[in-house]
Amino acid sequence: MKLTTKQLTLCAVLTALALALSYLENLFPLSLAIPIPGIKLGLANIVTVFALYALGPAQAFLILLARCFLGAVFAGNMNALIFSLLGGVTAMVVMIVLSGSRCLSVYGVSVGGAAAHNCGQVAAAVLTLGNTAPLYYLPVLLGVSLLTGALTGLVSACLFRALAHTNLNTGLDQGGTHGA
Amino acid sequence: MRRSPKLRPNLWDGVVVLAVAALAVACAVGIWQGGGSQEALTAVISVDGTEVERIPLDQAGETRRTVEGGGYTLEICLTDTEVWVEHSDCPTQDCVHTGRISRSGQSIVCLPARVVVELEGGSTADDGLDAVIG
Repeated sequence: MKLTTKQLTLCAVLTALALALSYLENLFPLSLAIPIPGIKLGLANIVTVFALYALGPAQAFLILLARCFLGAVFAGNMNALIFSLLGGVTAMVVMIVLSGSRCLSVYGVSVGGAAAHNCGQVAAAVLTLGNTAPLYYLPVLLGVSLLTGALTGLVSACLFRALAHTNLNTGLDQGGTHGA
Repeated sequence: MRRSPKLRPNLWDGVVVLAVAALAVACAVGIWQGGGSQEALTAVISVDGTEVERIPLDQAGETRRTVEGGGYTLEICLTDTEVWVEHSDCPTQDCVHTGRISRSGQSIVCLPARVVVELEGGSTADDGLDAVIG
């Protein structure tokens, strides 16, 4: 895949933003209200939704992979990698499929992504624990993903509205020939 | 912008929401209705996928177990009706925050320590849902 300098820069900025958001959501410990391992707001999903529409699936996937690997490195916890990768990739695939349908708005796409993310993480928990006990949490996690998905959908919708007045995207697709 | 997305929720989004809700209910019915057996309520402690100990609650009375896994130590308390993690040195503390479990099918999971405490057996007759949200 050949990226223009502008695209590469935007990918890097979005990766940094996703990492910052994953860190930021630790300040809102949802797990205190609902004590389930792995429950969280999924703010980094906003970046994935944005990248999917603004840059296309391939670059959104690159950002996701970079975010998962760097997140695991910064947390010093490689065990977390399988959780974020399985959750993130499942969410990504579902959102690529859902966003292909022109009928759905960003809300539907992010709710689907949030639900898929939780399914992926529960699968990762079942794999690492070698025990099906985490499945017990799946119904609650899916219920919560309706709320968190709607929230990230709302933020994404605000983001797209705000960016509609800028020229951020106009240069992206025909962004010159400076291969990077 | 490659493609400008629709920004207002519409009926199709409702379909996605309904699909996720239906999946949640289907999972809940499938998983939470694991049938009770004649066996007395038993706490099953597993570390790293292998069962370490089975403790029938009515016989054990009030007791404690110290379980080690993944470099962390969990202090598990058991009474004849309830099980909970009293203390853990894991970073997330989800196992402690889960609180007390008392019904068959419930579990406490500590991901960092890879410890699972499950309740098995006992009657699930008076079980039912805790609450229906939304």
